[in-house]
Formats: sequence, C-alpha cells, structure tokens
Amino acid sequence: MTRLVLDEVVAIREGWRLAAQGTFDEGVHLISGDVGSGKSTLALLMAGLLPATSGSVKWEQCSSQMVSFQFPECHITGTTVREECESWGLDPSTILPSTGLSGKGDADPFCLSRGELKRLHLACVLARPYDLLILDEPFSSLDAREKLRTCNILSGRSRGITILFTHEQAILPHVGHIWEIRKGRLEYCGSPPEGLRNWQHAPPLIRKLIAEGKTPQNISPDALKEAACRT
Amino acid sequence: MIHIENLRYRLLAIDFLSLNTGVTSVIGPNGSGKTTLLKLCAGIALPESGSILIEGTTPRAMDIGWVNEFPDRNFIFGSVVDEVASALRFRHLPPGEITQRTSECRERFGLTRLSNRAVGDLSGGEKVIVALAAALVQHPAILILDECDSHLDSRCMQTSDQLIRESHIPYVIRSTQDMEAAAESDCVVFLEDGRVRHSGRPEQVFAGLCDTPFYPLSWRWR
Repeated sequence: MTRLVLDEVVAIREGWRLAAQGTFDEGVHLISGDVGSGKSTLALLMAGLLPATSGSVKWEQCSSQMVSFQFPECHITGTTVREECESWGLDPSTILPSTGLSGKGDADPFCLSRGELKRLHLACVLARPYDLLILDEPFSSLDAREKLRTCNILSGRSRGITILFTHEQAILPHVGHIWEIRKGRLEYCGSPPEGLRNWQHAPPLIRKLIAEGKTPQNISPDALKEAACRT
Repeated sequence: MIHIENLRYRLLAIDFLSLNTGVTSVIGPNGSGKTTLLKLCAGIALPESGSILIEGTTPRAMDIGWVNEFPDRNFIFGSVVDEVASALRFRHLPPGEITQRTSECRERFGLTRLSNRAVGDLSGGEKVIVALAAALVQHPAILILDECDSHLDSRCMQTSDQLIRESHIPYVIRSTQDMEAAAESDCVVFLEDGRVRHSGRPEQVFAGLCDTPFYPLSWRWR
C-alpha cells in the first residue's frame, strides 16, 4: 500500500511558516487554504522538490510520482502541441481528441488559451497511472464542462494517492479525505460527510446545505444534488 | 455604453454587442474567444475590421486597467512596491503623490507585508492581487480582468470584489469560469466558437444554458 508520511515537516521563510504532520493513504485527498497559505509550497515538499526546513517527508512503496504545477506553462517543453504530447511519451493522436485540440497539433503551445493549455497538460498528466499524483490547482482555467470531465477521471482513479490542492468552489470530485491549512498548519478535517462540518474553507454551497441540515455525503456535483433534493 | 459593431479579429465575429456600465462577465468554453474579446476591449489588440467604442472613444484613448490570465505576464518590475507604483511613475506624477497613493493602495489590498518581496516569489493568488492593485492605483475608467479569479480562493474573491466595487469604476469586464460569480454580475456574455450566443442579464443568459454545465450549480436547487 502506497503511503506518504509528513513527519513534523516545517517550512520557514521570511516571517512565514508552514507546519505539516499527517499520513496520506491511497485515495483522493483535497487540501484547501487561503491565498499565500502555502498550498504550492506543501505540494513541492510532498513531491520532494523542496527540502523542508526541519522534519521529513517519507514515501512508502511509491515507485512512481507526478506533480502538476499550478501554472501549466511551467511544464511546456515542446515547440508544438504535438511535440508536447510526444515529450510525455504519448501519442498525440490519442491525447488530442480528448482535449478538443485535434486541429491544433502544429500550434505553438504558448499560443493556446490558458484553458486549452491546462487541458493539454492535464491530459498528458492523467494519461498514465502514478502511485502518487499531486495536482496543484488542476481546475484553474478549465471551463465547466472540462472541470466535470476531469472530476470524473479523478473520482475514477482506483489506486494510488491523489492529492488535490484547490480553491475550486463548485465542481469538485468525489474525495476520500479533506485537509486544510489554517494559521500556518496543515489540519485534517476528516472524511466526508463528517469531515465537511470541520472544513472551514468549505464552498458556500456546501456550507449552505449543512446549515439547512442537508449535509451531503460527498462534495461531487451528484452528491450535492442528492443533498439539495433531500426532503 | 460600450458599443461593439461588425467586429472581426481572428476567430472572433461579433456583429453587434452593447454593454452598460457595471460588471460584465464574459463566459464560455476554453478557446471560445474570451481573452481575444477582452484584449480588443483593452486596446491591446486592434480589430481587423469593425469597431469598439467606449462612451464614443476608442479603447487606446482610455485609461484602462488590465489583469492578465497568466499571472507572471502582468509584471515588468521585480518587487511588489515597484510594480504597484509603475502606472503612476509612467505618468510622471510627483514622487510624493506616488508614494502616498501606492502606500494607500497596498494597505487596502493587504499587500503591505509583501511590499519588499520579489513578485516572482509570490503565490499565484498573491500575484493576482498585486496585479489588481497595480491596475486600480491609476483609477482607470475601465477595469478588464482575464480569469484572474481562477487563482483566488473564495474569501480573496469576496475581498477583491469589494475593493473593485468601492473603486466606483464605471465599467468592469471580466472573463470567468466561476458561474456562481458570473450569476452575480450585472450582465453576462456567453461566447462559443468566437460568436456571442447569449448576452444580457444573468437570468436571461443562463436560461439558455440550463441544460449545460455552465448553468450555476446553486441555481439548480433554488
């Protein structure tokens, strides 16, 4: 069983501090937090791309991992959309149709809209299984239809650890665990539905349902719909 | 009033569109032409044909605040303090006035603690707030925001919306993928394949989108 362990991890820089302690088992974990709270820093720590000031990050039985940065432009290495797919070891003819970019194989990736670039990047990331998949703001810039499609893919991941850092407020996948960064510390809210009541960064729609006594079973659109229609 | 007539630019083709004062949200699928329309309204790009007139004036003759969808593309200076002051310095305003206005602006946006940070070291959301402050410090007649809310959490968005409202800017045009936010706008324009499919009050526009994922989730159960 793949596992990620944060053992008294602390990151410090210029009057700013983030502390994180916790174990991430297989399943989908969502982490939220305010702007500047350290979500991207934590993603880098978890991926082993940034050393902790103190404490340690341990990866158990993790033979493959992938981190998707918040800014898709940071991942681009190909000079065309087709080359970008190939740089991931993927066949453009299978990737591009799913992104709606079939006619843009020869285009410069930097000439795509930001949403198109995100779609291309996510399609390349999600084309392979990973023991540990870290996604920093995966829904940013995606249109509503693509958010739904991406949520369905993430909800369907049957193995490995998936960690989502997001402030998306409406269209979210089915998740197993919710965490949030509060006052410089990573806190575990719990699993839905119980964990939703501890989630201070819960989207307004979920807070409203809880206040009405209709706590959803999870946070996916289908779960919210079921709760909202409950009598 | 903003009048757009017979506009043609790359994939964008708008025969007629008028926008009143207030907040207009431009929505639509990725690649539908939202950024292109916003760049034309900001005067960053010029129409191949047709016209955009804001109160009878072309965009390049107006004071326009602009925030790019790529946060790093907003910056030309290295530090937060220089970036926020840049628009005023380019106008050669007196140094004392620049110091006072940028200081007030940084305080309003909660950027004082970040003043001496390098913009490259900021988080995505912090970069957007700096870009927003730099756009608003000059009191523009129009503020154009290209999906900058995709980098902000809900509390930050509420604060930003409040600061924009308090700035009393006549026209705010923003593209967004947050349909809940779009539903709160004065006007919504839905673009698809470079064409305006729907425009008008949120109720009118979303009535035409009720069978799509673009319909606000909260409206489905009101």
